[in-house]
Amino acid sequence: MKKYRLRTFTVCACVSLISACVTSTVDEMTFNEPTEGIGDSSVVILGRRHSSDYETEPDFVACVGDHITSYDNSIRVIDELEFLNALYPWFEPRTAPLYPDNIEQLLQQKPVADKMLALKLEYLIWLDGSTVRTEGAGSMACSFNGCFGFGTWGHDANYEATIWDFTDQAEVGQVNTSASGQSYMPAVIIPIPIIAPVQGAACDGIGDQLLEFLSSKY
Amino acid sequence: MTSVKCKRRRTLFITALFCTLVGCGPTKVVVQGHFPAPLIEPLPLTLGVWFSEDFTGHEFFDGAKASEESNWVVNTGAAQVQMWDRLLASMFEQVTVLKSPPEAGRSSPIVDAVLIPHVEELQYAIPAHTQIKVYEIWMRYRFELVTIDGQPIAEWTMSSYGKTPTAFLQSDQEAVNLAAVMALRDAGANFISRFSQTPAVREWLQNKGALTEAIAQ
Repeated sequence: MKKYRLRTFTVCACVSLISACVTSTVDEMTFNEPTEGIGDSSVVILGRRHSSDYETEPDFVACVGDHITSYDNSIRVIDELEFLNALYPWFEPRTAPLYPDNIEQLLQQKPVADKMLALKLEYLIWLDGSTVRTEGAGSMACSFNGCFGFGTWGHDANYEATIWDFTDQAEVGQVNTSASGQSYMPAVIIPIPIIAPVQGAACDGIGDQLLEFLSSKY
Repeated sequence: MTSVKCKRRRTLFITALFCTLVGCGPTKVVVQGHFPAPLIEPLPLTLGVWFSEDFTGHEFFDGAKASEESNWVVNTGAAQVQMWDRLLASMFEQVTVLKSPPEAGRSSPIVDAVLIPHVEELQYAIPAHTQIKVYEIWMRYRFELVTIDGQPIAEWTMSSYGKTPTAFLQSDQEAVNLAAVMALRDAGANFISRFSQTPAVREWLQNKGALTEAIAQ
């Protein structure tokens, strides 16, 4: 048993040692928070995909949803692709509403209104942003004898979550998060990547704030 | 014994040659995806649709511009038919896929109009071309709306665009396929939102008494 604990501790220590540092900041502005949570209503988190030079990663959208449900499993977060398919073509990049006022026009389509009612959608959260790789340095040479050298590179993540109250057709909050970190890869025979979990930190930052807004437990 | 060794060597040589040749071949993507049925009230009309051979077998070829690049073949034909079949079946009360094109003197099957889609142009971009971490596909369509005996009702063009971000352990082919699926979804969204806005189509819908308040917006 002792041996097992020691091994677990060693693994944990190694994992924390080989993770590079990440700096992240979160700004939040919300109002009309549901005081007793959202009950049996549901939430959908969608990525904004209007920009031509970047795209909000589907993985990041899924990560934020998973973060919310892992801390409060009473909140029903509809899967992004499931929602987009069920409401096709009204939430495609070309047709998605840009302002809460556009919801009224969307609900004039009877099949759309019926579907929204069936889904019990209360909040629609738009995520906009991306994680980009910044400067890199170093060099590495690999041969049959192994790899030697050192490499380093950075990542910057910037995301904004905009919360729409679907029933009141109004914007009720915004959460911004930015995170940056430097990853390293020293190589003496074997390359050892020390990755900065930049996107993960941004996901946790935005997820925590959304959880505070949506959950009665936090 | 010697002949067995020779046979083995020959087999090995042929296999190596085949692998080398295959490695030099173009990067081929046969677009495959899931296309959802649109959530709309169907128009009370019967539509005929004619998919030409060019359309059902639509393939885009792009030759390599540098020695380190490879040729690309993007085959969208089957996915086009799958998407448009699904879309039109939800958009109109009845849809008949024609086995031959509309022509003068033809009177059956009885349909309100026949839609003939054409893919006029396809372009793609991968991060190696643009230095940004998205894969992109553009398509330009031309649609003809004609009577069963070939008389023109309307003709219009429409573009569609799809992009997908780079992802860990995702190949160029998978990413281009996903971008093409997004472009096809966008084509469906654009078609639905612009169909009744095209002046000649709007007039035709009015004449047929099918221009309801919801689709008129």
